[in-house]
Amino acid sequence: MRKPVDQSKTPCIADDQHKPHDSSLSLTRRRLLAGGAAAAVGGATAASGFPYISRARAADKPLSGTTLNVSCWSAPYPKYLADYIPEFEHATGAKVNYETPSFPIYNQRIDIELSTRGTAYDVLNITFIYAGRWIGAGWFEPLDGFINDPKKTPAEWDAGDFLGGTTATMKDSKGQLYGIPWIADVIMAGAARADLIHKAGKKMPDTFDEVTDVMKAVHNKDNVPGFIIDNHYGWTWIPWLQGFGGNVFRDPPGDLMPTLDTPEAIAAADFFANLLTSYGPNGVISYTYDQVVAALKQGRANYSPNNQTFLVQMGASDSKVASTCDFSLFPAGPKGRFPAVSTHAWGIPIGSKNKDAAWEFIKWAMSKELIARMVREKGYTSITRRSLIEQPDFRQKLMINGRDVARIYLDTVELGAKGYMKYRTVPVYPQVDKEIDIAIQNIASKQKSASDAMKQAQANSLTQLRRSGIKL
Amino acid sequence: MAPIGKPAGWEAKRSQALALGLAPALVVLTVITLGPAVYLVVTSLTPLNLVNPQSALDFSHPLGNYRDALTDTRFLNSVWVQIELSVATVVLQIAAGLATALLLNAHSRFLEAIRTAFLIPMVLPPIVVAIIWKVIYTPDVSPVHRALAALGLPLASLIANADSAIWAIVVADSWEWFPFTMLMTLAALQMIPSEPIEAATIDGASRLQLFRYIVLPYIRPTLVVCALFRLIDSIKAFPLIYVLTNGGPGTATEVTNYYGFQQAFNFSYWGYGSAIATMMVAGVFMLSSIIGRLDQRLGDNA
Repeated sequence: MRKPVDQSKTPCIADDQHKPHDSSLSLTRRRLLAGGAAAAVGGATAASGFPYISRARAADKPLSGTTLNVSCWSAPYPKYLADYIPEFEHATGAKVNYETPSFPIYNQRIDIELSTRGTAYDVLNITFIYAGRWIGAGWFEPLDGFINDPKKTPAEWDAGDFLGGTTATMKDSKGQLYGIPWIADVIMAGAARADLIHKAGKKMPDTFDEVTDVMKAVHNKDNVPGFIIDNHYGWTWIPWLQGFGGNVFRDPPGDLMPTLDTPEAIAAADFFANLLTSYGPNGVISYTYDQVVAALKQGRANYSPNNQTFLVQMGASDSKVASTCDFSLFPAGPKGRFPAVSTHAWGIPIGSKNKDAAWEFIKWAMSKELIARMVREKGYTSITRRSLIEQPDFRQKLMINGRDVARIYLDTVELGAKGYMKYRTVPVYPQVDKEIDIAIQNIASKQKSASDAMKQAQANSLTQLRRSGIKL
Repeated sequence: MAPIGKPAGWEAKRSQALALGLAPALVVLTVITLGPAVYLVVTSLTPLNLVNPQSALDFSHPLGNYRDALTDTRFLNSVWVQIELSVATVVLQIAAGLATALLLNAHSRFLEAIRTAFLIPMVLPPIVVAIIWKVIYTPDVSPVHRALAALGLPLASLIANADSAIWAIVVADSWEWFPFTMLMTLAALQMIPSEPIEAATIDGASRLQLFRYIVLPYIRPTLVVCALFRLIDSIKAFPLIYVLTNGGPGTATEVTNYYGFQQAFNFSYWGYGSAIATMMVAGVFMLSSIIGRLDQRLGDNA
């Protein structure tokens, strides 16, 4: 892999503090002039997303000679970020090797890299579904030391500004933070053809019972199937499971005994599979998320409880349903409302040789100034800083057909902070996730009854967990 | 006795020179082929989980992964699905390839152009083939589904139905690879000498008899090689399953290769994944050996 950069050539504030004597700190005429120039550059750069770097040390390009290797899976925010990275390089002198492979490629590549304590990367995305595994295995550096050190992070950077629901999954059992969340994706509900719902005398469903009621009323009206959801059921089904009073594990993350064969889980699986088979389009269990988004935007399906990032695309200018779509909170089940909240975050792998420089990059990438620019210049909406979400111009951006989607978003993230997403932060969740996918497909394709499918999911999950060395 | 005119040590020196010449290639082969294979087998004897790298050196239960596999219902199911898929694809591809080759075995510019067109699926990247079939099998965008619906014959999704999903994969895989058998068989057909066919024709043999008693014995070794190649390749089937069904619905199309991939790369159970891969390699060797002997026996009886 790439050659690690010599740490001695990567000055940073912290390192500077520990140097017994640095002749470069002595006051010279040249340095004064440079300082003046720095003040000018700093003033300009503060507005562009890296005020802290610029204020402290823009004059001498503090990261000059440092190469940062940064990787994140391909999504709107990392793509937008690529356009701003030259500014970071210019201000700091660092060279940034930046890559954004596809989601599965990224996860497989980084999983192997992290497991070997590799030194190839300095800043990595902590993928939500792997957060428990990667953090739990000690493959990422805790960030509290950086955040709480005023020499490394000024108070105005405001780490507390990030929504609680987004940082919750990036903490270990001791409460240490490992990632700065760059996205909060929440499950809400959207209807591509809300006009058909209104025409049937109904409103956006707010409970599971209302979902069934509305589906009966609108399914195949105007040749539009009533219900659609993507086939990653280990993600999309869990809010229904929890709404019925069930959970994936008995008491995660401490007690990881799977609870997929409980009466609540069987009832939830049966209810959900019935929605798929009775109101879904032909072949609904083969639909991946991109197909779901396309179907919704084309008006080929109507109601979908799904990720906010997918659903808001119905309001985009290239959508055929921009004028008929509507949104709501994820509906409540008999035991409450449990919309899923997922987060991806920037972290520093334990093997990085440039941890301080990596933190400078994360701080810059997640600064209020840069995120505000992304919102303004790129239209980015899945942001994690409350202060920006609360701003009127941002709220206006997410006002679609009179519906305040930003309010739904904030309310959902707040719900997510209650702790019901802990099931997803355990290292072995991907194994159980797959068993859930299989079980729901077995039920919806009539291969098994809900009871048999969930019992099999329970047995297979136990096998998988034992294989991973977990004592149950 | 040494050949006349050659010194006594000539053969030995020749052998030494050959060995010396081959040595670099053998070393490279050992490093890039045997090395990983040995590592695979060694890893299969450990419970290696990437979350716990120290488990790479845990040989306390060397056959643990193999014992687990024998009671793992998903693994056992995947073996059965693999057998179904392999048998169906090989039979279909040999039949389609042979039939097409027989039809195209003539000299004409038109047929040569068709032959070239038939080769297109084989040279497409597998992922492109998978995407083509994903479109065909997705009802709301599929031209096939739309045409049938327009005719009043709506067709349920083939890849979302447990009974048809495996056959959807078989058809897609056969479309991609029957040209291989066609090409090999065509080459073999063109190598058949004309004399025995002419003699049999003069003796009044029918076309079926010509095929049964003259053509088939000539091309049989080629068909066996094709079957062997396609069998081995069918065990490596991956892109079609990954894109079209992801192993589903349920586990209806989850073949052993795909299951092993999941265990190793999605769940980091490298020890268990290696055990699955080792069993697959052993299975392929056994099958190759059986097919080779079967062919030899058929040849002896012919």
